Amino acid sequence: MEKIEADITKAGGYTGRRMAKDKLFKHVMTFGGLSVIIAISLIFVYLASVVVPLFLPATMDKLESFPAVGVQQETTVHLTAEEQAEIGVRFANQGSVAFFDMRNGKAMGEERVALPEGATVTSFAAGDLSQRSVAYGLSDGRMIILQQDFKVTFKEDAKDSEKDVRTITPSIDYPVGKEPLVIDAAGHALKLLTMQHHAENTAAVALTDDNRLVLTAFESSENMMTGEVSSERTSVELPPVEGEISQLILEVKQRDLYVVHGGRYISHYDVMNQSSPQLLQTVAVVPEGQKITAVNILSGGFSLIVGSNTGEIAQWFQVRDDNNVNHLTHIRSFKSMDGAVTTIAPEHYRKGFVAGDDKGNIGLYYATSNKLLLTRSTGTDPVRVAGIAPRANAVLIEGPGNTFQSARIENDFPEISFSSLWQKVWYESYQEPEYNWQSSAATSDFEPKFSVAPLTFGTLKAAFYAMMVAVPLAVLGAIFAAYFMSPKMRGVVKPSIEIMEALPTVILGFLAGLWLAPFVDNNLAGTLVAIFLLPFSFVITAYLWHLLPDHLTQRVGPGWEAALLIPVIILVIWTSIAIGHPIEAALFNGDMPNWISNELGWDYEQRNSLVVGIAMGFAVIPTIFSIAEDAVFSVPKHLTTGSLALGATPWQTLFNVVILTASPGIFSAIMVGMGRAVGETMIVLMATGNTAVMDLSIFTGFRTLSANIGVEMPEAAVGTTHYRLLFFSALVLFAFTFAVNTVAELIRQRLREKYSSL
Amino acid sequence: MNDANQKTHAMDFSDMGRTPSAPTDEVAISVENLDLYYGEAKALKSINMKIPKNRVTAFIGPSGCGKSTLLRCFNRMNDLVDICRVEGKINLEGKNIYDKDVNVALLRRRVGMVFQKPNPFPKSIFENVAYGLRIMGVNDKEVLTAAVEKALRGAALWNEVKDRLQDSGMSLSGGQQQRLVIARAIALEPEILLLDEPASALDPISTAKIEELVDEMKDKYTIVIVTHNMQQAARVSDYTAFMYMGDLIEFGNTDTLFVKPTQKQTEDYITGRFG
Repeated sequence: MEKIEADITKAGGYTGRRMAKDKLFKHVMTFGGLSVIIAISLIFVYLASVVVPLFLPATMDKLESFPAVGVQQETTVHLTAEEQAEIGVRFANQGSVAFFDMRNGKAMGEERVALPEGATVTSFAAGDLSQRSVAYGLSDGRMIILQQDFKVTFKEDAKDSEKDVRTITPSIDYPVGKEPLVIDAAGHALKLLTMQHHAENTAAVALTDDNRLVLTAFESSENMMTGEVSSERTSVELPPVEGEISQLILEVKQRDLYVVHGGRYISHYDVMNQSSPQLLQTVAVVPEGQKITAVNILSGGFSLIVGSNTGEIAQWFQVRDDNNVNHLTHIRSFKSMDGAVTTIAPEHYRKGFVAGDDKGNIGLYYATSNKLLLTRSTGTDPVRVAGIAPRANAVLIEGPGNTFQSARIENDFPEISFSSLWQKVWYESYQEPEYNWQSSAATSDFEPKFSVAPLTFGTLKAAFYAMMVAVPLAVLGAIFAAYFMSPKMRGVVKPSIEIMEALPTVILGFLAGLWLAPFVDNNLAGTLVAIFLLPFSFVITAYLWHLLPDHLTQRVGPGWEAALLIPVIILVIWTSIAIGHPIEAALFNGDMPNWISNELGWDYEQRNSLVVGIAMGFAVIPTIFSIAEDAVFSVPKHLTTGSLALGATPWQTLFNVVILTASPGIFSAIMVGMGRAVGETMIVLMATGNTAVMDLSIFTGFRTLSANIGVEMPEAAVGTTHYRLLFFSALVLFAFTFAVNTVAELIRQRLREKYSSL
Repeated sequence: MNDANQKTHAMDFSDMGRTPSAPTDEVAISVENLDLYYGEAKALKSINMKIPKNRVTAFIGPSGCGKSTLLRCFNRMNDLVDICRVEGKINLEGKNIYDKDVNVALLRRRVGMVFQKPNPFPKSIFENVAYGLRIMGVNDKEVLTAAVEKALRGAALWNEVKDRLQDSGMSLSGGQQQRLVIARAIALEPEILLLDEPASALDPISTAKIEELVDEMKDKYTIVIVTHNMQQAARVSDYTAFMYMGDLIEFGNTDTLFVKPTQKQTEDYITGRFG
């Protein structure tokens, strides 16, 4: 053996090796611990970095001002831009079309609509913005349809592909030919016009100079044999409205026509049947004393945005009442503008719009989230015309002193606001405000519904029903195992329950969805009876056991009594299932699920909360049991004996000392179980219908945050609002489980501190 | 020394216990032919003794001699050990406490016990002392307040804690905790108080306080104290029983036992030759 060093300041030899080992392990442990913390922080940071852009405000570059482009004698009626927001387009009231560089106003070409001999332009209509079609109404009662066309060509650089030049050449097309379409057969000039053109279908409504409203529709069909295109024209006069008509709006699907008239009114015509249109309703959309100064229809053709002379801006759309009758209804008011609203320009694909007022302000709004995203002053003169680029990344306005102004916009996530995420939102075509999650649909102009409230609710509902099943079983079981059970039986029971935790939840979900759900559905009455009877059967068995003579009961060792319940449980479940069908036959017309939905009027789904409660309860039981059992078991023996020595009965000791002392541990067990239930994915994914409904009923399903991520992440396009919102749900889940587990751990540590002196 | 011999001696001295030196002493507990088994092992062998009323009786002996086991028989705490089996009688006022009709909870109310390690509940000082009464169904605030004060005074703790009755019992020092536990026991006004090495986990000053307290309490209670510490037994007790390997070797007046033990084993033990 080496000599033990005498010098206590220097360690060498064996002691040196001991110290080195000690240091090494200390560093390894520190490294491991820190790595875990860093990994968790990085996950958090990553989630947050994806989520944060959702909540950043929209931004707009400085407005670039340049002199108006095009024929100066004409006035601008419509401003728009090409897809890349590089080329701006100005339509003027006499039929001149000017193309220019959006950034500096450099002219890029000018065209003039091909007018027939002797005719002049009397009106203008913008069609579907995404189709880039517009129409001019003529003095002879005819209409000519134009389409902007942007040809993109690449000139490849032989040496360096970075230097490839992309050239966009703007031009004008005539999709139905240069020959104007006859709108008013009587040949009166068209004072006001609205038009929608879509492949074979073209419809237009015009106000003639003798104040008739004329609806004319064209349906072209191609003869399969000859390839000859024939066009069928229907024209009908619409019932008149009172007051001066100021604007006509035909919705993109050519079903609804809105006529703005009399200063305050909008009349709604049903023009679905083009040969017999009907005036359905006339609504005053601004209060008395105010005037409508601008109206436009949002993309999708559903919502009208109405601006008034006092700066009020409101959204209106048709809401179907219980009798299946549509009413044009006020949906929401936006933040007012300072002056009278002069122009409203909708985004091409989303539910946003830009509005301008007569004091030179513009405001960027979003309908679904009811947000005024940003405002900007362009000067003091009225904003006359505004337009938004197709990708909603630039605005173009005609402002004071015959100048144009343009600016780039960064506005990728306007649909997100506190209210759109967590509160009821009145979505287009809905009867009332609702919580809804519907992230995608078949059409591109659909309004995404991004309410995370029903998902959070579903998550909590799933956890609630799972906890309803798991907490009583796990906690009472833990108390029994730790306090009453014989050590031998405990040695079998505890590890078996803990091993349940290793069961993959996908298997539980699979069983729950494909076996348990149909089983419960077929034996609903039996299942409910079993759930109801089981607790009573335990008490009755215990009482009968108590009545049995001692020499019989003593044959079962102390702490083994619980095993007697196994046959009881089997018997009760078997009996309940057996009597289930007769009960259903006698009381519920033979089919309880049907009876629930028909007689009670409750929603019933096969994959419901009951099934999830049982399946997920089963998954959560081991977690709660294990921690709670440890907590009860580690209550110091001398506290129990101290209580018993004071004359307390075992039950009094259990309630007054054992559970009290173990309560923080039991609480933390429940919290950890809750954290598990909230984050659980596979079971809820497979055993519920995944419909994002918000009700507490045990007979309906739900959609949880975790299942939603699981289902939708593969189909969410990277970087979109949808994608980022899924990350947001992940962050919410992460924060929730983190908080729950932290609270549980803090309580456990407090407990340890409190009883360390015992 | 063989087993048979030992037994004879034990019998002899338990006889002596039956005629305590002070003839006025009443008997609180009489033990008759008590055998106790842990499974197959016999831990107490035919114990016979009479514990005098309102006196302090000390049990001494080396570790594992059965003195704590015997003490725990007096309030049937041994019932908690599954493999423990008791034969013989322990009479409390003429009633065998091991009879079937005895309610253990009520027995323990009359025979209080304090353990080696202070074991206050994780409750306030007040609730610790009131615990015994509460589980007996006493919930009247005034009754409880009066009883708690009386018990704390009885345990000489009142002056130290009267201003912080709502603090946790765990916040007290070890010696205070032990007196709190004594207060908790005497709040039930038991007839007999069993102290199982009450001072072994305490410092000398706290020990002195407990000893003082034991002396003060003996007017009211019959006290049985198990101790490792022979000086303590000599200081606090009126009678002392010496046990060895499950046998009661000698039981008698403390002064006599320590000055002039009649058994060689006793003498060896108290003179420190083994133990």
